[in-house]
Amino acid sequence: MKVGVLALQGSFFNHCKSLELCDLDYVLIKRLSDLKSINSLIIPGGESTSMKIIEKEENLFFAIDKYIKKGLPTLTTCAGTIILSKKVIDGDISIPNIDISIQRNAYGRQNQSFEGDVKFLDNSDIYCFIRAPKIIELLSSDVKPIAFHNEEIVGVQQQNIIGLTYHPELTNDNFYLNWLKEYLKSGEHVGSF
Amino acid sequence: MKIEASEKVKKGLAEMLKGGVIMDVVNAEQAVIAEKAGACAVMALERIPADIRANGGVARMSSVSVIKEVMQSVSIPVMAKARIGHFVEAQMLQELGIDFIDESEVLTPADEVNHINKRNFRAPFVCGATGLGEAARRIAEGASMIRTKGEAGTGNVVEAVRHMRTVTSEMNQVINSDEHELVSLSKKFGAPLNILEEIKSLKKLPVVNFAAGGIATPADAALMMQLGCDGVFVGSGIFKSGDPAARAEAIVLATTNFNNPSVLIEVSKNLGEPMVGININTLPEEEKLAKRGW
Repeated sequence: MKVGVLALQGSFFNHCKSLELCDLDYVLIKRLSDLKSINSLIIPGGESTSMKIIEKEENLFFAIDKYIKKGLPTLTTCAGTIILSKKVIDGDISIPNIDISIQRNAYGRQNQSFEGDVKFLDNSDIYCFIRAPKIIELLSSDVKPIAFHNEEIVGVQQQNIIGLTYHPELTNDNFYLNWLKEYLKSGEHVGSF
Repeated sequence: MKIEASEKVKKGLAEMLKGGVIMDVVNAEQAVIAEKAGACAVMALERIPADIRANGGVARMSSVSVIKEVMQSVSIPVMAKARIGHFVEAQMLQELGIDFIDESEVLTPADEVNHINKRNFRAPFVCGATGLGEAARRIAEGASMIRTKGEAGTGNVVEAVRHMRTVTSEMNQVINSDEHELVSLSKKFGAPLNILEEIKSLKKLPVVNFAAGGIATPADAALMMQLGCDGVFVGSGIFKSGDPAARAEAIVLATTNFNNPSVLIEVSKNLGEPMVGININTLPEEEKLAKRGW
């Protein structure tokens, strides 16, 4: 059982720390050859524009897109969620897999970044939103809201993908870690790719 | 509930920059080249370090119009430099909505005793350090990110290597120390005790640590990453080279693939001329920027 963590740029080591706390093995994904035998995938926050330039060397996103479409359990945060969104306001579409319209840096610059209440599934906690995007619209009934900040949707699930706009990996509370472990382990039953 | 400008929010942006390259730019046109080459942020400044070195005079915060122009031209975070101790320049940068302030030795210091009390600011700060004591003092003042000073504007990586190795070796002394030795180490390094306690318990610096100063090639960037830096600042190395766009992208790819020599070879092909370097031994002591900071 191995989790692939996309490691082109961004907060991937923070996700690795979460995985260590969950006792899950992981592999950093920088090249196509790293994509072997993973059971689940994390696409971290960072700058989506940087990641898009780095991935095109080997068309890594194209390969990742195929894995996701085959059912690989996938967690995305912040920039990672932008990369999988079907519509991107003020940005480019990469590998559309979540039927949402998302706006980059929607709250503003860093001076509008904040820690805020999030109700994720049955749990409430405080998480960081860093130059965060906003989910503007759900584009199909396949997308289920699973996280809220006040009335705003800040996390969705569409089949095997969970997309969040905030950073649970900077908090690593027990509810999140327990959920993460169960969620990523579901990839064991899907089989490794 | 909504908490803005907390320590976690300030350090959080630095976490998002990790594994990336932050590029010095002097206008919107360069900022766009940097963003298209994959920079994770840009640093707006009036003159790049090599020109500050060549032209001399007092180097100050960039003009407001340049900063605004850069902020409007790109969607990635924009940083800008304030002089050491010049808290009014920092207040102005914060008011402009800059994403990160660099209290930088590359500019002419405004205070030869004190740095800015960065805890008073909502905007996060990055500061240079030549060793653990300096890094810890800046963290105690409220810096959310540290970088090596290196010797900016020289295209010579030797000082950045020295500073990174010094920070790492002094940090290892702290981590491996007996708790009875911490006060003595605090005295030895000139580092606040509480920061050393934090380092000992975390087994690492409490903030992100980037490389800066003298990085001119993809190999230089990879070297600093292999030495344990979290990411890279490139100043004069890009826009003083023969083909800035190609070199910028090559340094971005090298920073991600820092431990993969075959990728480093591939990205280092056909980059044109690197910037002309300066041998640091030939620099008069008073021209060494890394000496600024207290």
